[in-house]
Amino acid sequence: MKRPNLALLLCLVFLGLGLASHAADPSASPVATLRAATNYLGQWMWDRETLDKQTCHFWKRFDIPKGARVEHAQLRIAADNAYTLFLDGRELGRGSDWRTVTVYDLTYLLSPGAHVLAVEGFNDNDKAGVIMGLHVSLADGQSVEVASDNTWRLVPINDSRWQTRRTAPDDWEPVTIVGALGVEPWWKYPTQFVNLPPFLPILVHFWQTGWFQIALLAACGIAGLTSFYLTMRLAVQSKAHRLLSLERVRIARDIHDDLGTRLTQLLLTGEEAQSKLPTESETRDQFGQMCDGARNVLGAIDEVVWVVNSQRDTLGDFVIYICKYAETFLRSALVRCRFDIQRELPDNSLDMPFRRNLLLTVKEALSNAVKHSGADEVAVSIRLKGNALIAIVEDNGRGFDETQVNPARHGLKNMMARMNDLGGHCRVQSSPGVGCRIEFEIPLPSTRLRPWRLFRRRSPVPQTADPSRKVREALLGASSINP
Amino acid sequence: MKRNTTIIPTKPPPRPPLRVALVEDEAKIRESWSRLIDSFPDFKCVCCCESGEEALRVVPGIQPDVILMDVLLPGISGIECTMRLKELLPQTQTIILTALDDDKLIFRALEAGADGYLLKRTKPADMRAALLDVLHGGAPMTSAIARRVVESFRRSSPGRSGAILLSPREEELLDFLSKGYSNKEIADQTQLSFETVRSYLKHIYEKMHVRSRTEAAVRYVNSKSL
Repeated sequence: MKRPNLALLLCLVFLGLGLASHAADPSASPVATLRAATNYLGQWMWDRETLDKQTCHFWKRFDIPKGARVEHAQLRIAADNAYTLFLDGRELGRGSDWRTVTVYDLTYLLSPGAHVLAVEGFNDNDKAGVIMGLHVSLADGQSVEVASDNTWRLVPINDSRWQTRRTAPDDWEPVTIVGALGVEPWWKYPTQFVNLPPFLPILVHFWQTGWFQIALLAACGIAGLTSFYLTMRLAVQSKAHRLLSLERVRIARDIHDDLGTRLTQLLLTGEEAQSKLPTESETRDQFGQMCDGARNVLGAIDEVVWVVNSQRDTLGDFVIYICKYAETFLRSALVRCRFDIQRELPDNSLDMPFRRNLLLTVKEALSNAVKHSGADEVAVSIRLKGNALIAIVEDNGRGFDETQVNPARHGLKNMMARMNDLGGHCRVQSSPGVGCRIEFEIPLPSTRLRPWRLFRRRSPVPQTADPSRKVREALLGASSINP
Repeated sequence: MKRNTTIIPTKPPPRPPLRVALVEDEAKIRESWSRLIDSFPDFKCVCCCESGEEALRVVPGIQPDVILMDVLLPGISGIECTMRLKELLPQTQTIILTALDDDKLIFRALEAGADGYLLKRTKPADMRAALLDVLHGGAPMTSAIARRVVESFRRSSPGRSGAILLSPREEELLDFLSKGYSNKEIADQTQLSFETVRSYLKHIYEKMHVRSRTEAAVRYVNSKSL
């Protein structure tokens, strides 16, 4: 009991000195002056037992009031023999000289709210203790002080991540105060101060935060899975497409070889039978009709085979086919035909709906010209403008008044619907006496790979484009039934 | 007094009928065709073959005036057969028979040395006219075939030695054809006689044939040198 009394006495002496030195300052309260004189340091603290080569963990939580602005914050610390200081889990520094107090400037690290101080102390031999004091001056004149005292908790040595814990479990015991400031064997007054420059908060960019990294990883994972799924789907689709086109070629060959040959046989037999009958016989006429019907069917088969044969789906082949059709059709109607076809058309491949719709549209335009216009010349022009195919069918017939004509008639509506299906449009220009000009503009299907188109629904195929219907029509046409 | 006078038609000097060889794999079609040809007054079917191999064996010995060749045959194709027969019988006219109006196929046959082509569904009367036209120096060509010819000649690089080129006049005719002009209209436009236009077209056929043979030879030499 002797020693504490002495310490108290010393303190009083010290206090007296302090008071005397600060007597000129009337605003300084006695307690504040005392604190300031002791550099806000607390008491020496350690474990209940002191051992050589001992490590102790000290933990303390404190609060900066909400809405307060920290003007200045200073932490002083010394340890016998060594310490490591953490604030909110961040290591601030180490020291290993009990005679020197290290001064940390924490002004920029302390924001309003809870904070955790953690100190790891190490004793080499003999006596051991850690002493520290934190003084935070707030803008409103208040201050927050944290000193080493028995409100600190001693952390069991096997607890990992103790520096970052926000709360202390109940089994963390309070520290033991092993001596007040100035008690032997330690110095009465700190003999030396080492000032460290202010600590700056660690700037954490958003991409360094854990949540962001997890989200990024998840996004990458999802993107990877999606692309894998799409690739698989594309592979399945392209395989299906390849099989389909092989099947198309097979069907085309079968139709051509088998059906074509048998029909040709029938036709030839019919011709022979017809030639054996007398000229004025009624049966001869009927045979003639039969043969014409068979010819029409063969022509229709030609067309179907051409449409489904994937070996002929380039733009050049398609244009040649249209010209051939126009030439045959117009010659048989005794109408002159003129072509103006762009040379060297690119080898774009066209899919079946495109070819079918464009072919049917041009056919419609040609048959309109022959049926209604009375023209003796029809010009067909096909060229590329950018990525669009421009097809023009122009006649020199009697023409019509655009405002008078009902678009539902003359197949205009049909043509427009087909053009809509292809994403193009058609323009009709005509006036009485100067013929008619129909211009189709259709964007060419792009050959680029567009995976999102896999999910797009295909527009329903128009009824008239059904190849089997073409054959049926040709068959019905032979018996002059108009569907 | 009236007397019944019978008009005796002045008979043309008797000309031997044109001898036709027929290559067709379907027996019924072959028989029908042969009867059909025999029914034409100036044609006679002298030989019917059911395959290209048989034709190569038999036809050179017969030396017909014209060969009607089906394009789709089992074994060697009609096109292959045409090419070989043309080398053995350069004077014989070969006409390709096809069920399908496929200009690519027809073009290949013309390159192989065929002098004309006929769709199997052509009416008998038109067929006879077409046969006679080819035999008298005609060269049937549609705008589609004309386009293919122009394309194929343009594709063969003009700088290469031995490359066969079209003359400007031939190019002009093909251009007219691909624009849809008929032979008659071309004759009017170019101030040439109808016959001259026909002979120009026939000459283009020969060039196509020679060109495809040269190309085949070049390919052969290249494959040897590799």
